[in-house]
Amino acid sequence: MKIRNDVIKVYKDVHIWVGIVSGLMLFIAFYAGAITMFEKPLERWATPPSALAPPPPIERADELREAVLARHPQAAKFHAVVVQPTAEMPARVVWREPGKTRRDFTEYGASFAADGSLQVEKLARAPVAQLVDTLHQLVGLPFADAVARPIMGAVALLYAVALVSGLIIVLPTLVKDFFALRLGKNIKRMWMDVHNALGIVSLPFHLVMALTSVVFAFHTPFYAVQEKVVYPHGLPWGQHEPAPLPGPGEYRLPADELLRRVEAQLPGFEVYSFIFREDHGQLEASVTGLDVRYGTRGRTYASTHLNPYTGEVDPHDLPGHMEPWSAAVNTFFMLHFGSYGGDAMRWLYVAMGLAGAMLFYTGNLLWIESRRRKRRDGVIPGQKRSARVLGCLTVGVSLGCVIGISATLAATKWLPGQADDLAAWHEGIYYAVFFAAVAWAFVRGAARGADELLRLAALATLLIPLGSLAGIWGIGGTWNHHGAGFAVDATALAAVPVFLLLAHHTRKRMLEGHADSVWSAKHEPAVDPGASPQEVAVSK
Amino acid sequence: MSEKAATVNVRRLDSRHWFGKGCAGVLLGFGLAVALSGLFAWLGPGGIEGGGGKTQFNMWLISPIWAGVLSFVFLFRDSLRAWLWLGAANLAAFGLLGALRLGMG
Repeated sequence: MKIRNDVIKVYKDVHIWVGIVSGLMLFIAFYAGAITMFEKPLERWATPPSALAPPPPIERADELREAVLARHPQAAKFHAVVVQPTAEMPARVVWREPGKTRRDFTEYGASFAADGSLQVEKLARAPVAQLVDTLHQLVGLPFADAVARPIMGAVALLYAVALVSGLIIVLPTLVKDFFALRLGKNIKRMWMDVHNALGIVSLPFHLVMALTSVVFAFHTPFYAVQEKVVYPHGLPWGQHEPAPLPGPGEYRLPADELLRRVEAQLPGFEVYSFIFREDHGQLEASVTGLDVRYGTRGRTYASTHLNPYTGEVDPHDLPGHMEPWSAAVNTFFMLHFGSYGGDAMRWLYVAMGLAGAMLFYTGNLLWIESRRRKRRDGVIPGQKRSARVLGCLTVGVSLGCVIGISATLAATKWLPGQADDLAAWHEGIYYAVFFAAVAWAFVRGAARGADELLRLAALATLLIPLGSLAGIWGIGGTWNHHGAGFAVDATALAAVPVFLLLAHHTRKRMLEGHADSVWSAKHEPAVDPGASPQEVAVSK
Repeated sequence: MSEKAATVNVRRLDSRHWFGKGCAGVLLGFGLAVALSGLFAWLGPGGIEGGGGKTQFNMWLISPIWAGVLSFVFLFRDSLRAWLWLGAANLAAFGLLGALRLGMG
C-alpha cells in the first residue's frame, strides 16, 4: 500500500511520542493483566485456611441459613448459599455486612460445629490477587482510583493512537517486512522486526484492549453526557422487573431443590452460588455460575435472576440467552476479560498479555537504539542523556513491576501470621520494591541494572513457592490447600529460569556487545558534555 | 528558507502542529463521538427507547469514534483546518441531533 512519505513521517513522530509517554504504564498494565487472568486460582492459593468446621451438605444449607438469620438478622439483606465451597469461600452460607461504600463490605461465613452449634467467622479472603488486578486496572499508578482511573483512560486513548499510527507506518512495507525477522548485526533492524511482528500479529487483541479500556475508565462521564445531550427522558434502562411474589401454596425452595431445577433448565451451566436479597419483606434471588462455552461480562462468572419459589430462571442476563444489544455489549467485556473458552483461553490471554508487555518494552528499546551515538574513528562517544535516562527508566519500571509483584506474592503465606492489615502490607511491599528497583536502575545504569534486577526477579520469584514449601510443615503460619494452588507455585518456578536466561543474555550483551551503547558496561557513561555543533552536523 | 522550499512545505504534512491538532482531536473528537452516538441512538435500529442493552451499546460507541478521530486528526494540514473541519462536523452532528430531539422527542 502506498502512503505519502510526509504522512509516514508525521505518524512516526506521533507514534514515537505517544509510545514514550504511555509505554511503561502499558507494560505494567499488561504484565499485571497477564497474571490477573488467573486471579481466582491465585486468590485460592493465597487465602489462609478457615477455622470453620467443614461445610454441611447442601441439603442442610437452609437449616444453616435459618440459624444465621436468627442470630444475625441483618444478613437477610445480602446472603448466599455456596454450592461448591472453596478455600477462598470456605462456608456453605456467607453474607455481607455493608461498609462505607457499595464496594466496601465485610464477608462472613457460617458452619455448624461438631456439637451442632452455629459457628461464624469473618472470611479472610486474600487481598493480594486484588492488588495485582488493581495494578492492572490503574496501570500501576500509586494514586487513588479517582485520580488514577482518568489517567488510565488517557493512556488507553494514547495506546489507541499508537496502534493506528504504528499501523500507518508499517503498511507500505507490510508485505516485505511481515515475515522478516532479521537477526543479525543490525540490532535496531532486529528489534524493529520483533516490534512490528508482535504489533501486527496481535493488532486485533490490542484494539480490543485499547477501546474497552477507554470505556472502563470513562463510562460514568460518558453516560452522564449522553443523559444530558442525547436522551429526552433520562437514560432508558428498560423496566426493572419487580421481585416475584410467592403464588398460593408456594414457599421458598430449599437450596438443593433450587440447584436441581436450575441444572435442569440450564444444561452446561455450572452453578457457583445462590444469592438472596431481602428488602422490606420482598425476596430477590439470583444464581451465579459459569458456562465456559459463553464468555461473560463479569470476569469470572455470570449471574441472573431466579424465582426463589419456583426455581424458574430468568435467563435474559445470561450469555447465550441475551437480546442482541446486550449480547453485543457482553462480547466487548468478554473479549477484554478472556472469560470464554475456559483455562486454555486464559493461558492464551496470558501469552498475549506478555507479548503486549514485550511490544511496549521493544518500543522503548527502539527509541534508545535510534538515538545511539555510534563509534567514530575508534572513539566511543558518550551516549545521549535522554537515551541513558530512558534506558534506566525502562529497566527500572518494567523490572520493578515484575519484582514487586513477585515479592508481594512471596510474602503472601507469611503475612497473615504477623500482620493485621494485609492489603496495606501487600501494597507497601509492592511499591517499596518497585521504587527501589527504579532507583537501583538509575544508580547502576541500564546495562548493569538490567542484569542485576533480572537476577533479583529470579530470586523473588523463586521465593513464591517457598511459602508453600514451608506450608508442608506449617512453619511460621504457612499453609497449603489440598489440591489447590500447586499451579501457582509451578508457574513461579517455571518463570525463574526465564529470568536467569534473560539476565545471562543481558550480561553477555553488556560485556561483549557494541561498546557504543547504553547497554554496554565497557565504556563508563561519561557525564554528557552535550553534542558539539560539529557532531550534530555529522549525525544529520 | 528559499521560496521553493516554502511552497513545498505548505503542501506537505508536518509534525509541528501536533499540539493544536491533538487538542482538536481530544475535545472536538469527543464532541463528535457524543453527537454521533446520539444520532445512532435516535436513528439506529430500535430507536431512542431501544432498551437497556441498546443504551449500553450507544455509550460504547463513543470510545471507537473518539479514538478514531484522535488517531486521524494528524492528517489535517494544520491546526486551524483541524479545528474548523471538526468544529463544522460537530455543529452539523449536534444540529441534526437537536432537530431530532425537537422533531421526534
